[in-house]
Amino acid sequence: MESLTWLWLLPLLPLVGSACAGTLHFLTLRARRGGDAGTALSQFAGLLATGVMVVAFGLSLFAFAQLAGSSDVTALESTTWAWIDGGSFQVDLSMVVDRLSSVMLLVITGVGLLIHVYSTGYMKGDPGYAKFFAYLNLFVFAMLMLVLSSSLLGLFVGWEGVGLCSYLLIGFWYEKGWPAEAGQKAFVVNRIGDACFLLGSFLLIGIFHTLDLSDIAGSVRGEISENSGLMAIAALLLFAGACGKSAQFPLFTWLPDAMAGPTPVSALIHAATMVTAGVYLLLRLNPLYAAAPTVLFVIGCVGAFTALIGASTALVQRDIKKVLAYSTVSQLGYMFLGISTGAWAAALFHLVTHAFFKGLLFLGSGSVIHGMHDEQDMYKMGGLRKHMPRTFLTFMAGAAALSGLPLTSGFFSKDEILAHALLHGNAYYVLWAVGIVSAMLTAFYTWRMVALTFFGEERFDAKKVNPHESPFSMTLPLWILAVLALGGGLLNLPALHIPFEQTLHHWIAPVTNAGDAILYSGGEAPHAGLGLELFLLALGAGIALLFAHKGFHAYKQGFQQDDAMREKQPELTGFLEHAWKIDGTYMAKIVAPLRLLSYVIATLIDQLAIDGMVNGAGKAAMKSGSKLRAVVDGNVKSYALWMGAGAAMLTVVWICC
Amino acid sequence: MNVPTEHIYALAALLFAIGALGFLLRRNVIIVLASIELMLNAANLTFLGASRHWTQAQFASDSASILSGPIFSLFVILVAAAEAAVGLALIIALYRLKQTVALDAVAELKG
Amino acid sequence: MAETLFYLLGAGALACGVGVIAARMPIFSVLSLLGTFFCLSAIYLLSGFQFLAATQLLVYAGAIMVLFLFVIMLLNLGDASGLREQTGFSLVGKRATIAGATALTLALVGILGAGFGKEFRTNPAYVGGIDDLNALATVLFSRYALPFEAASLLLLATMVGVITLAKRQRASLPSPDAQLLAQKKEEAAA
Repeated sequence: MESLTWLWLLPLLPLVGSACAGTLHFLTLRARRGGDAGTALSQFAGLLATGVMVVAFGLSLFAFAQLAGSSDVTALESTTWAWIDGGSFQVDLSMVVDRLSSVMLLVITGVGLLIHVYSTGYMKGDPGYAKFFAYLNLFVFAMLMLVLSSSLLGLFVGWEGVGLCSYLLIGFWYEKGWPAEAGQKAFVVNRIGDACFLLGSFLLIGIFHTLDLSDIAGSVRGEISENSGLMAIAALLLFAGACGKSAQFPLFTWLPDAMAGPTPVSALIHAATMVTAGVYLLLRLNPLYAAAPTVLFVIGCVGAFTALIGASTALVQRDIKKVLAYSTVSQLGYMFLGISTGAWAAALFHLVTHAFFKGLLFLGSGSVIHGMHDEQDMYKMGGLRKHMPRTFLTFMAGAAALSGLPLTSGFFSKDEILAHALLHGNAYYVLWAVGIVSAMLTAFYTWRMVALTFFGEERFDAKKVNPHESPFSMTLPLWILAVLALGGGLLNLPALHIPFEQTLHHWIAPVTNAGDAILYSGGEAPHAGLGLELFLLALGAGIALLFAHKGFHAYKQGFQQDDAMREKQPELTGFLEHAWKIDGTYMAKIVAPLRLLSYVIATLIDQLAIDGMVNGAGKAAMKSGSKLRAVVDGNVKSYALWMGAGAAMLTVVWICC
Repeated sequence: MNVPTEHIYALAALLFAIGALGFLLRRNVIIVLASIELMLNAANLTFLGASRHWTQAQFASDSASILSGPIFSLFVILVAAAEAAVGLALIIALYRLKQTVALDAVAELKG
Repeated sequence: MAETLFYLLGAGALACGVGVIAARMPIFSVLSLLGTFFCLSAIYLLSGFQFLAATQLLVYAGAIMVLFLFVIMLLNLGDASGLREQTGFSLVGKRATIAGATALTLALVGILGAGFGKEFRTNPAYVGGIDDLNALATVLFSRYALPFEAASLLLLATMVGVITLAKRQRASLPSPDAQLLAQKKEEAAA
């Protein structure tokens, strides 16, 4: 394939856009100090950033079209840049668009574009307007680097970059105090994952002597006989890194706190793109994971367990964004469950649909918050469907997709994953059961959220808080995403011998064939028969409808159900409310001792011991100096005495030695 | 003279000790200087005693090595003279400043 | 005969040495020192060092002692009444102990070290003395010429230093510039 330099434009354009927006931010510094938050230059930063995203989306479409147009070209590659040349170990960086990354590209640039448009409305009036867009574009740059890099090292650069941008954006309103802490928490927890990531990549270097992703994927088959143990460890370590980034147990505690950032950030980073980086990594290295079935099972357990934790916690949350945050954690668990069964396409499908409906839900919640003047507590909402009809309709669409109501995108993607779990058999039955329970809880809490927010009586003072519909810049992305959330199921219809079935599955087949070959040892992947498939679809639909109905009706009139539960089972409610007390355990068992240790080191060891030693050396010098000074008392006779005594000593020494 | 060289050394040592005592214990500067001269003379005596000792027939091969003793003593006398002169000039200057020749009076360099 | 003389002279030197440090008045101390010089000079002569004996008398007894006497005269230190606080022993406990210990150490080392010296009883007397003047001069101006010249420089420096230290402090004459300046001031005032 020819080298296509224009592919470098994809990540570089957002980088340039970020730099320009940052410059504009600094240029308007003086104006903003004077109190004028909405200068024209700031507005221009928003337009510039959005324009960059339009171009990026256009380039993504173009790349996609090129790939789709020719059946023999499986990847577009740009010119290579020899980054590391260390003799036996080389890293050549290039931007590669193959079928998997083309899908990711469209999601990132498309949903990113919509969120940029949304942000121009949401962040209006904020003094950090230009800074926000600078950070957003920087994030897109890092995410594109992650997805497009041909080398694991370039991917890691993007990996770290999105972590950084996440930190910057979560703590965007750092003056308030808690967002800064939340950002720090996100970064630190990510770091733990990154450490595992690095260890895994070192192992990969040891086994394959290269970090080029396609080379590794191709070489896995040959290494199975010798290095399967090492490869499994490397796979496990990389998965641990993915856990940090994609908020799986035990590294998920940062995601709920990350809701301190502006809502577009939550939508883009913590729903659609960054948290899916872990899933992308595993999909990219699918042969490696196919060669390690034990690791796959571990992934499945972690994913299912996380899904359960997330869904059960979202059940009792008051803050609308926290419900969505735990929901994200839960849905990401589904994606990993999908990967663990070897259903690569199903995981990718759920990733895409999740980007649509979760992004929609977050943007919708942002619209609600914006309209309610920064009120996030659902207990203080209610009956908003009359005041914000467009938000209401689109939100319903997103809720339908999330809960898996029939024929929505979420319905098909969730069903695909659960079907593959059931097909896998053996221990995966348990995982399937957990997935089904989580699906029940998902439907329940989703419609609880809808009911509490949009239905029932208004639990706010209509005169003080005047909820209004959001401007067009905010509702347009909502409409587009609503359409995608409802109709996105067409991307990968189940295998029922209908036209346009399994489109996504066939699309990324060139990438996942290697993994499939290893998994099924040359044979065919297990298929669900038509009957089983229909049964599972019906089961999924039934569960979704039943629990959605239950959830909706329980909370249609308000939150009395919550109070009742709190009375009857206070410990269970408390346990669920704080995400199974996991974060509390971390704070008590890990963070507190660390803080104590730091305090000890800082005060006792650093101040007392080390500074004491350094200052003490000075003091000792001064003290001994003043003592010695007493010898020079100006009296000549004492000088003579000292001289005489010294001479006598010298004589003795000289004679005796 | 067949005096054993050790006895010359002993005499010189005793003279030196006496001079050291005077140097350390007397308060009058002039007497201190006199004690210093005494010590120097004791050193001279030691040199000459040693020189006498080493001028046996079997050791002496050239006059230069025999005569090192007396030459060194000559230089000692020379330097002692210079030192005594300077010391006495200092005493005069000290007397002018402090109207006394007691060593205790001078403690300007304290500290 | 010579040996007896040596021991007598030695005793004399020691006695005079004690006299140097124990005398109450500095003049007595200086005179005792003179006695020591005489005794030592005689010992040198007995040992065969004729030139050194003469030099000792000339320089030490003749020049240095005279200097001492001049200074004592100049400072008018003969008056016994004001002497007590000026000339006594400072026998404060610690200082006396250290001084005594020092002196004892040196003496003991010297005497005991003498025990390590080689046995040598006979000394062939040289014609013209061990420090034969001809030989001495030859060696002094050939082999030890450098120290000789250096010593002359030392004496020059000593002379300059002594004169600077001891001269009477007189108000220095004003420089010609200062004189002119003073004149101009007078004219301006007038």
